[in-house]
Amino acid sequence: MPGKRKVAIIGLDCATPQLLFDRYLSDLPTLKRLVRGGVWGRLRSSDPPITVPAWACMTTGVDAGVLGFYGFRNRKDYSYDGMAFATSAAVKRDRVWDRLSREGLRSIVIGVPQTYPPRPFNGDMVTCFLTPSVESQFTHPPELKGEIAGLLGGEEYLLDVKDFRTDDKKFVLNQCYKMTEQRMKIATHLLKSRPWDFFMMVEMAPDRIYHGFWSHTDPTHPKYVAGNEYENCIRDYHRWLDARMGELVTALGPETVILVVSDHGAKKMDGGICVNEWLVRSGWLALADKPSKPTPLGKCKIDWSKTRAWGEGGYYARIFLNVRGREPNGIIPAADYEKVRNQLKAAIEAIPDHRGKPLGTKVLKPEEIYRKTAGVPPDLLVYWGNLDWRSVGQVGMGSVYTFENDTGPDDANHDYNGIFVMYDPAHPGAGRQLDGLSIMDVAPTVLRLYGIAPEADVQGKPITY
Amino acid sequence: MPRPKPKPKRKAKGRDKVTIKIPRELYRRLTTLIEGTGFGSVTEFIIYVLRDLAAGGKLEQEAGLSPREVDLIRNRLKSLGYLE
Repeated sequence: MPGKRKVAIIGLDCATPQLLFDRYLSDLPTLKRLVRGGVWGRLRSSDPPITVPAWACMTTGVDAGVLGFYGFRNRKDYSYDGMAFATSAAVKRDRVWDRLSREGLRSIVIGVPQTYPPRPFNGDMVTCFLTPSVESQFTHPPELKGEIAGLLGGEEYLLDVKDFRTDDKKFVLNQCYKMTEQRMKIATHLLKSRPWDFFMMVEMAPDRIYHGFWSHTDPTHPKYVAGNEYENCIRDYHRWLDARMGELVTALGPETVILVVSDHGAKKMDGGICVNEWLVRSGWLALADKPSKPTPLGKCKIDWSKTRAWGEGGYYARIFLNVRGREPNGIIPAADYEKVRNQLKAAIEAIPDHRGKPLGTKVLKPEEIYRKTAGVPPDLLVYWGNLDWRSVGQVGMGSVYTFENDTGPDDANHDYNGIFVMYDPAHPGAGRQLDGLSIMDVAPTVLRLYGIAPEADVQGKPITY
Repeated sequence: MPRPKPKPKRKAKGRDKVTIKIPRELYRRLTTLIEGTGFGSVTEFIIYVLRDLAAGGKLEQEAGLSPREVDLIRNRLKSLGYLE
């Protein structure tokens, strides 16, 4: 019955099933208790499997194409440089707490990506790591900001790890712990001091630790050194986090339905493919001046009259075609679009690894993976080596392959599956493992617990057992 | 005892105004905030602030981010590896 239920989502960005379920579970008593008493499984992430759009897909129940954003920064139009950040303003649909607000239900929302700038709703919110700075208005209502300052005793609230690319690993690790500690403190405080029906928080530290320390902990990683001082730091963080989660679970109360979820998983990163370097060498992209040192494509002079495609870096690649009548200086005739796109897709899929072996790259067409393609979608999405490799957008690298990330250390790439655990004290699951779960299933599952039907076009299905 | 009818003049004045509810805690804080400022009441203060805001004609730009804020977010995303 609406109003009687309490549901809580504990979100752990990047928390990956092969660690939490397969390797660490016996070391994590809180998670183990929820798994054994509830249901659990691997949660297929969004395409692309990245923080933005993943958390928005989870909290709305629709895919990135329906939402109309395909990553942190998206093309605003078909100009060459018109890009915009996907902030909270880009999420044009109801998220779970918006829907609950309209039913008169009250929520506590902490750190969920794409919540800055905060939008009014029935409840309390601390915005996410995409908040410009602590000078920004990062709470709803605004006066909560002062309350948090008091709660933290003058300590600055960490929106995220500062200076992540430093070689000072200890500093990064300390900040990850501090960040989690602060958010857990705020969560517990709000749970105790506010009436609430729905609670959701997202902790970013797992993602930061994986990216920063994976090579130190995984013997199969090319850069692994046995016996290094951070050998167990991912496991140790998860043990510590599990104890904090235990405190949070107590604060949530014995009647609350608890979900523990992540937006995507992680795996070791074998290296980077320099997408624009390859496009230049293969005659798809023409530069007026070839840089002699690594240079972002945006700082290069591109000869658009001879360019058919260009790409973007990140954990996956986005490829854009230079189409006549669409881009300002487009050269591919609109009638040839599909033929050219297929030609490029096949060429990218055939790129071997640095030893000449098949890479297993996946190249996707947006209209084949999304229900619709709102906004300006890329022409192709590329998961290099099936996500074993990242995408590097810079040119002047001297090779298509790179094993050093010149923006600093990064050891892990994203993986397709995150985690899903649901523990309902009124409906025990006896530790049953569920298959075929999608990140879009989370919103309708939560709404169903309140007896609320999702919007008719929501793609996810309520998870039942 | 029958309630006296309100004077027509007051009634006409009331039609030009609407009632907006704000959280009591916010009202309490505003009461403290305007002490000694010359604002006679919280209502007077709120009308002043909202008129000032409305005079601007719009609320910030499209995504609600200033160029400086865009730079701060871009730099953080670059540092974290999401962007190059």
